[in-house]
Amino acid sequence: MGSNAMPSKRTALILLLLAFASRPAFAQVDLTGEWSPRVYNTHMDIGDYTGIPINEAGRLRAESWHPDQLDLPENLCRPHPIDIGLRVSVSQLRITTELDDQTKQPVGLRLHVAWQEPEQVIYMDGRAHPSANAPHKWSGFSTGHWERNTLVYTTTHLKEAYLTRTGVPKSERSEVTTRVHRYGNLLTITFIINDPLYLTAPYIRESSWIFDPTQIIPPFPCEISPDGTIIGAGKVPSFMPGKNDILADFATEYGIPLESALGGEETLYPEYIKKMKTMKVAARTSTEHYRRAQ
Amino acid sequence: MKTRFADLNGPRRSGLVFVAAVLLLLSRHLAAQRATAPDDYTGYWVSEVTEKWRFRMLVPDKNDYIQVPLNPEGRRVAALWDPAKDEASGEACRSYGAGGIMQVPGRLHITWQDENTLRVDTDSGQQTRLFHFAGSPPAGEKPSWQGYSAASWGGGEPRDRRDGQGGPVQDKEGRLVVDKAQQKPPDYLRVVTTRMRPGYLQKNGVPYSANAVIEEYFDTFSDPYTKNTWLVVTTMVTDPQYLIEPLIMHAHFKKLPDASGWDPTPCRANEPR
Repeated sequence: MGSNAMPSKRTALILLLLAFASRPAFAQVDLTGEWSPRVYNTHMDIGDYTGIPINEAGRLRAESWHPDQLDLPENLCRPHPIDIGLRVSVSQLRITTELDDQTKQPVGLRLHVAWQEPEQVIYMDGRAHPSANAPHKWSGFSTGHWERNTLVYTTTHLKEAYLTRTGVPKSERSEVTTRVHRYGNLLTITFIINDPLYLTAPYIRESSWIFDPTQIIPPFPCEISPDGTIIGAGKVPSFMPGKNDILADFATEYGIPLESALGGEETLYPEYIKKMKTMKVAARTSTEHYRRAQ
Repeated sequence: MKTRFADLNGPRRSGLVFVAAVLLLLSRHLAAQRATAPDDYTGYWVSEVTEKWRFRMLVPDKNDYIQVPLNPEGRRVAALWDPAKDEASGEACRSYGAGGIMQVPGRLHITWQDENTLRVDTDSGQQTRLFHFAGSPPAGEKPSWQGYSAASWGGGEPRDRRDGQGGPVQDKEGRLVVDKAQQKPPDYLRVVTTRMRPGYLQKNGVPYSANAVIEEYFDTFSDPYTKNTWLVVTTMVTDPQYLIEPLIMHAHFKKLPDASGWDPTPCRANEPR
């Protein structure tokens, strides 16, 4: 009896090990479906680096950014990096289950976002991230797991891009840990962006969506105009260090000390409010600057 | 004359036993609220303002409500904001009510007041919020800045199970059978607040009404880069009197080892905190 029982015990043990090793991608919570964004655009002004724990190198690059860079031919149809794609107003989101081509078993989740239609696959089948030398992409490479009812995934292999659409940089060495939480029909995503080159601390921000099964995400075709753009070939508009003559506009128009508007870890905490009161603020030229964006 | 339990007749004895059993079960259920907390929310926390920085670290200009879906009435009321008038009329706490307090930069001190009540004290505005896991609002209680908050642990819904005939799995008496092993664990705190005094969603007088309903979801986690512990609060404000659609806001807090930096300030109508 004892010897006959051994194979079945061994088999059970092997099956148990396989079960753990394969890390099945079954969901704790159903995140799939159509999600309507409740996301507002932020950081729309040159020189608005508020709330970003940016370092000196990041600030130097941000200050050299020129708005005409958006009109470069290679930038016209460029998608946002995926973490920014989920932060802008045109971020209707569709989440579907990703199936293995051969077995049709779930291997993860796929995110599809409206603007420029980026796709992000989150693998949850235990596969490893590729070599550091593997190609970097706008959506990077993501693997995830469940922490109780929260989907947590890590994205690496992101192209060098930006934290804001006004040029605050994010390096190719950045990594994003994302937490997706469903509260009934509300979906909240927390992004934790770690960038050893341009940030002194992880940059944490959140976005939310409402479940909307009737949502239709229209196609987003993008073509570069055959007539070219206003930027001549071979030219990349930028500001040389110290020569950005519009850098202070945001701070001036909102009555913020320039140093505070240019971000940094210290500016994120309540104690900084007292410090700001001791800092120089340029005379305001308008108190209705906000109307431009409304 | 003392009446011994043994002297009671059968029905009265059974009644007492029943009442005692109910009380015991109820007390166990109530006591479990603290004991079954999915996360430790207690301790000192400090705001980290990465979102809506200029709306939170400064007092924004009147009518600057770009990220709030105000309806025409909400816009009209926002345009009436007068911080000096609020101070003079004893209404300086309007931006520290339940609808806005999590957006105000500052520190939180979270403790269990008792087995069924989570308490949140703020240094900004020196407010106290009580999250009640049991009971209901006392009858006749006046609306207050923090209102009445009913709390529960969220995320613990049972998985759907079907029997071989396609119906839900039931016992012989028809009760739904919940397989504990299949039940999802609760993993967040949900708080619904009502019965508030009218207040402000932002320091610059962007209003919410006495009829607003504030839903909040609290999630804690440790980030993999610094190992700091964080508390993320997602707030949904439903207020048809002033909003076209529910407003969703977020705030996050970093856990602190102690009370250092605790800086109590009174309600101030014209200061960010």
